[in-house]
Amino acid sequence: MAAVLEAIALRKAYGDVVALHGLDLRIEAGEVFCLLGANGAGKTTTIQLFLGFIAPTSGSARILDLDVATHALETKRHIAYIPENVMLYPNLTGLENLEFFTTLAGRKDLGAKALADTLLRAGLSVEAAGRRVGTYSKGMRQKVGIAMAMAKGARALLLDEPTSGLDPKGSNEFSRLLETMSADGVGILMATHDIFRSKEIGTRVGIMKHGVLVACMATRDLSHADLERIYLEHMHD
Amino acid sequence: MRDGRFRLAGTLVLLLLLAALVFGWRQAAAVQQERTAAQAIARAAWTSQGDKNPHIAAHYGMYVFKPSGTLAFLDPGADPYLGVTLKLQAHEQELPQDSAAQDATAIDRFGQLSAAAVLQLLVPLLIIALGFAMWSGERERGTLRLLAATGVKPPRLLAGKVLGLTVALALLLLPAVALAAVTLVAGVESGAGLRLAALVPVYTAYFGVVVAVTLVASALAPSSRAALVALVGFWCATALIVPRAASDLAARVVPLPTTAQLTETVHEAIAKGLPGQPREDRIETLSKALLKRHGFEGAETMMDDALLQGIELQAEADFENEVFDHHLGALMARMDRQEQVAQWAAALSPFLAIRSLSMALAGTDFAHHRAFQHQAEAFRRGLVQAMNDDFAKNAGAAGWDYKANRKLWQQAKPFSFQVPGVAWVLAEQRVAAGMLALWLLAATAAAVWAARRMRVT
Ligand SMILES: Nc1ncnc2c1ncn2[C@@H]1O[C@H](COP(=O)(O)OP(=O)(O)OP(=O)(O)O)[C@@H](O)[C@H]1O
Ligand SMILES: [Mg+2]
Repeated sequence: MAAVLEAIALRKAYGDVVALHGLDLRIEAGEVFCLLGANGAGKTTTIQLFLGFIAPTSGSARILDLDVATHALETKRHIAYIPENVMLYPNLTGLENLEFFTTLAGRKDLGAKALADTLLRAGLSVEAAGRRVGTYSKGMRQKVGIAMAMAKGARALLLDEPTSGLDPKGSNEFSRLLETMSADGVGILMATHDIFRSKEIGTRVGIMKHGVLVACMATRDLSHADLERIYLEHMHD
Repeated sequence: MRDGRFRLAGTLVLLLLLAALVFGWRQAAAVQQERTAAQAIARAAWTSQGDKNPHIAAHYGMYVFKPSGTLAFLDPGADPYLGVTLKLQAHEQELPQDSAAQDATAIDRFGQLSAAAVLQLLVPLLIIALGFAMWSGERERGTLRLLAATGVKPPRLLAGKVLGLTVALALLLLPAVALAAVTLVAGVESGAGLRLAALVPVYTAYFGVVVAVTLVASALAPSSRAALVALVGFWCATALIVPRAASDLAARVVPLPTTAQLTETVHEAIAKGLPGQPREDRIETLSKALLKRHGFEGAETMMDDALLQGIELQAEADFENEVFDHHLGALMARMDRQEQVAQWAAALSPFLAIRSLSMALAGTDFAHHRAFQHQAEAFRRGLVQAMNDDFAKNAGAAGWDYKANRKLWQQAKPFSFQVPGVAWVLAEQRVAAGMLALWLLAATAAAVWAARRMRVT
């Protein structure tokens, strides 16, 4: 079966600065791949290449076997994106925002009831869903982001530090939601600085350094302490 | 779109527009009333002049007034710079005055608050203010990433943006359009409705160009601030710099003689004749032709003096008309070419296209003025001929002592300006119209292209 997300010799250079050196990576359905790495390691670059927001210098990013560069719109039908800060329209309610974005994503068939249910599943109360997003906390906005992914029926989820700045409870709730989606067969790529969460919800963890994936391991065989030690070893020198 | 940041600006522009319409209409109505009254007085002066020799009457002449068009209140165009009165008399065709008005730039047009100035200059600024952050603002706020990730086709997003701007503009302009329509109903003139109907798509196309250019800048500029700077630069270039440069270029490529030079040339030609044909020879040829036409060929000796006198006078008038036709025809052709230069310059500025089209449809451009002069001249020639004919036919032995009376004065129909139709206007303005259409096509294509290829983050 085709990988949900696949990078083949994926490379991105900004002039002399090489942000990503020929990345090879496969993420299957139901997998949660956590990408660790220092600031400037190339995590965001990797995610934006999958989103087609930037064009690769060489190599290809593929979603369900379709090249992102040549099938820009088609590949987006299958993915959802949650950035560090899900920015919505502050004057619309959570429900209206969800309705707007899912309509643009081509899911006009979902009624207000189904969308409200989705928000509920994402952990947003009915009362909150009817409030203007301008009054939301960051955690609530991230939940709307998850609801957007659910409503869209995304097969792959691309997350860029989605829990940074969330309190431990919010972060935990968010992790539960990702587990649910993974159980539904969604392939997940998450860039993060949170080693603890990576071990917790990741099925695999990758460590990136200066644009190179220097380590890649399954979390099943690792303890938190092991993972932290390996990470720090790589960050040395 | 939802926030009220621009409501104030929008309301201000609307108020300005309404004020311009109301004042413009009241002024136009007053001017029209004045001219109608003046025309009536001039007519009365003609019909009630005492008994006198018809040729002398032609010398005294009569005044005619250019009626201000029904739509002049929307766009006074070149009217304020052009004369409205012509004195029609024997032996003289009034020469056009220096058309310094053609040099008038956008700045000059701010001076007279007209609906056209608001629509052509201020509404684009408002569109820019409403639209410069439409893409760049979403990029800066971070919503553009989510929009892009939905997989929606960029042209669809673009259509949404255009719709948003259109609704805002429509809310702003509808009251003004309604007011213009209502005032028109008050003073119905055939053709005016059609002209107004033609103005609507023309202005819509112009605003469409500004909307598209605004969205191109917003999509491609590195920041909202940069987009705003670029758009204000575009506005300055197209509304101020290009029009100025275009009129300078037109004056350089197709120079016009000054009124003094023209007067001298014409009077010299009248005194001596056109090159290659001395005055006396030409008058003789013309008078022979007249005699032949009236069936008196070779019978001069048997004719009475008055008849010969009348024929002679008409031959002289015909000669003078030839001179006028020669020199003024050349001048008109040059003026026409100057305006063509301005219309072609619309390739660099949509403002030039709308300015030209708007005043042409409002009936206040140079072409309409020339049409007025043309009709007035034809009327003058008819009048002079009628007077000379009467002299020739009825003077008999009285000769120069012959006096015509009120009956003859009343036989001369009053002058009335036949406003050319919309088809004529559009033919005159085909270059400007073509340029505006090209701008709309190119700007729309650029907006679609920019929406497809703009940066998301
Ligand atoms: N538009 C750009 N122009 C030039 N260099 C860039 C550009 N975008 C990113 N880079 C460089 O690419 C490298 C990788 O950046 P990237 O944002 O992918 O890092 P990251 O792993 O996401 O870091 P962080 O943890 O801080 O988010 C960095 O060296 C960065 O300076
Ligand atoms: Mg990053």
